Amino acid sequence: MKTISLSGLLILFILIGCEDMVEVDRQSYVIAVGIDVTDQDGIYAFTYQIANPEAGSTLAGIGAEQTPDETITVVGTDIMTATNTANSFVTKQIILDQTRVLIVSEALARSDQFLRVMQSAARTTEIRRSIQIIVSKEDASDFINNNLPVLEQRPHKYYQYMLSRAKETGIIPDADLHRFFQITEGDADLFLGIYATTTYDPKELDGSEDEFIAGQVPKEGGNATQFMGSAVFKEGIMIDRLTGEETRICNILDKTMNINELLANYPDPLAPEYQVATDVFLTDNPKVNLSYDSETNHATIDVTVPFEVKVLAIPSLIHYSQNENFKRTLRDAIEQYITDATDELIKKSQEAYRSDPFYWSIYIRRHFKDIPAYEEGDWHKNIYPNADITVNYQLKRLHFGKMLDDTKLDEVRD
Amino acid sequence: MLKKKTQTKESLNTKLLINLDILKERFSFGLNNDFSIRLITAKFNKHELCLAYYASLVNSDKIEQTIIQPLLEQGGDSLFDVVTAESITKIKELEELDDHINNGKVVLIIDGESFGHSIDVAQFQHRDISQSENESVVRGPKESFTESLHVNISLIRKQIRNRELITEVQKVGKRSKQDVQLMYLNSIVNDQLLDEIRSKLTQLDVDNVQNIELLEQFIEERPYSIFPTILYTERPDNAATYIDKGHVVLLMDSSAACLILPITFWAFIHNAEDRYARFLYGNFTRLIRFIALFFTSMISALYVALSNFHSEMIPPDLLFAVTAARERVPFPLIIEVLIMEIAFELIREAGIRIPNPLGPTIGIVGALILGQAAVEANIISPIIVIVSALSGLTSFAISDPSFNFTVRITRFIFIISAGFFGMFSLMIAFTLWFMYGASLKSFGVPYFAPLSPTYKSNSDTYFRKAIKKEKWRPGYLLPKDLQSSRTFERGKTK
Repeated sequence: MKTISLSGLLILFILIGCEDMVEVDRQSYVIAVGIDVTDQDGIYAFTYQIANPEAGSTLAGIGAEQTPDETITVVGTDIMTATNTANSFVTKQIILDQTRVLIVSEALARSDQFLRVMQSAARTTEIRRSIQIIVSKEDASDFINNNLPVLEQRPHKYYQYMLSRAKETGIIPDADLHRFFQITEGDADLFLGIYATTTYDPKELDGSEDEFIAGQVPKEGGNATQFMGSAVFKEGIMIDRLTGEETRICNILDKTMNINELLANYPDPLAPEYQVATDVFLTDNPKVNLSYDSETNHATIDVTVPFEVKVLAIPSLIHYSQNENFKRTLRDAIEQYITDATDELIKKSQEAYRSDPFYWSIYIRRHFKDIPAYEEGDWHKNIYPNADITVNYQLKRLHFGKMLDDTKLDEVRD
Repeated sequence: MLKKKTQTKESLNTKLLINLDILKERFSFGLNNDFSIRLITAKFNKHELCLAYYASLVNSDKIEQTIIQPLLEQGGDSLFDVVTAESITKIKELEELDDHINNGKVVLIIDGESFGHSIDVAQFQHRDISQSENESVVRGPKESFTESLHVNISLIRKQIRNRELITEVQKVGKRSKQDVQLMYLNSIVNDQLLDEIRSKLTQLDVDNVQNIELLEQFIEERPYSIFPTILYTERPDNAATYIDKGHVVLLMDSSAACLILPITFWAFIHNAEDRYARFLYGNFTRLIRFIALFFTSMISALYVALSNFHSEMIPPDLLFAVTAARERVPFPLIIEVLIMEIAFELIREAGIRIPNPLGPTIGIVGALILGQAAVEANIISPIIVIVSALSGLTSFAISDPSFNFTVRITRFIFIISAGFFGMFSLMIAFTLWFMYGASLKSFGVPYFAPLSPTYKSNSDTYFRKAIKKEKWRPGYLLPKDLQSSRTFERGKTK
């Protein structure tokens, strides 16, 4: 009896064993997925950028010349079936669980088809919820094909470094898939996707560095790809795009964004032809004080943003650090500049978008008894567009770095 | 049955000639070369007497100086006035006679007396005390047990100068009777525990138990268990520490080690040096050792589980490195891991068995063939070499030889179970392994005590306390005196 039951157990193990096992070398790892519209409704073009693991490997026996990736485009109805179609000419099983970015063409993002394609991405366990959504100005397949980084040739490294660095400077939002569904299904607020392009369309220089969207940053050399600004999604459809500076303001005002340090330039108050380069860091999350009157369905929002500024460069060589009056002027100028830019963005969001990109609906939810009541209040249509909003920036401290005094121009050139 | 009993209780005769015949028959005199009988006439009472002994077990100088010479030359009232040897005991029964002669004593039988005298002149040959090789320490006593009971007992007694330190003898074996010495502190050890050990020893129904290594297997509760439940150590200081806590130590002749029981899981992970090194240093070593324990048992299995079932959990850089390395390798990943693990075990076994002069060959062959050549020939991938080298190397941090086997066998169990369903089956295997460990008892003491179940103790489990804070003997031993340090109490009364 004992032998029978033991051998039964053993057979059981052998029969069910290794069920899900896949060898790592029998998988193709997709780093970026691009989605484009086709002429037909409901049919999309999917572009996969597949990493070549042997590229950059120092193992013996591997040739020096290995292309870092392979890009393929197939047509299908959703991501998963397109993956199967792609296997008709890709040798290994295509795996999406290492995918870092999802690139959507602006044409698709602006159509009502976008949410339909994204649904399948939410359903499968294979796609990570932390995957970043990038909206490309041109077709996603063109974006992937034209994106030829020289230094970080391995695609996963490129996206990792590119996105993390751009996020540190605050010029692009944090736009993962999870956040997209959270905001879209929450039916309030605006989702910001990362805006990028490989087409070059330089804008005239007019002072500030950040009033660009992707493609407009004047440059020479380097990769054609630019990440700058964000694509504004309302109810799952792209409605507009924000410049780098506007995106930065959104990042500051949104406490769910983990961006607390960013570099920015402000016009020099005493010598307007120059700029003051600064490192802005938030010492604390912005305090959003929202009072709601249920009778009139009207909200008043008071936002206080405490921040510190580290002055990195004063090209005008004015002695802001030594003169208290100058210092006060600089303080007021910086505060005023940010406040103006913010007020303008808020005005635009209230009037044009009729919703907010700051995820502020989380502050009003507590004023409602239940979800139906909240839905009836309607943040999108009623509350936000009519709300009274004041944003108050508080510059807590001004640092001048290691060297307090700048070069005395008149002494140098005497 | 009854007849047999009376036969064994046979005793000596008053006539020396009859006694001599008995002796010659029992010890196959003539055939048995080293059994000697010496006949002399004692000067003090003019009686004939005989000395019987194994020439190989006794110190012949001592016989000559303390027995033969005084008997021939000295006069006196009784034997005790004449013989100068330090211990003389009276023996009557033949079975006793066997015992004493086998233990290296001289039996002296005088004509006209129906009993003999046993005089201790034993000199068993043994190795000198040498350095502890398997449990070496940087800081701490270096001497280790040797294959002599007397020397071993003295090494322990040297460290516990206490009249309550008992060395109790128990005989084991039906044909060859060996002494097993129980050492314990009478005022501390739990009596029930002692009775259990005694009854285990007396119940042994075997002809001969040569040494402590075999005795361990005779008295342990679960011979098929993957976990050891008796601690085997060659360090006298280790033994003394455990005796102080209320454990019992078993010693035998011809074993350069002792058994300590009962024991818990923690004793196999701990090392004597953990206590000799200062608080911070000792605990740092403990931390390293627990990391080593995790690596040696888990890392190969985790590698199999992650790369075969959960490649999404591996960071892309590492994943691509693994993938690139595996592109040209013919075997499935789990076979690759098993090949390297078995190869490592082979080198290890060969390294132990190889004659000393050939030792370095193993290193060269092992490192060159298995490491370099196998990778260059694309038989295994370089990542596997790193993984198995790590798991093999870390296994040496587990110094207890028994527990070392536990860990190494466990590693293979884990690797194979990781091959079924990845992390899922690996965790099932680990849980079962852990549950089995938790169900074990060593002479009534739960295996993971005092962590679970909790007892009053110094909670010397993962990390130890500062020496001054160690106030308790382990509560799971139910010692007669739980408190080992009274500094705290004194401070209070002051």
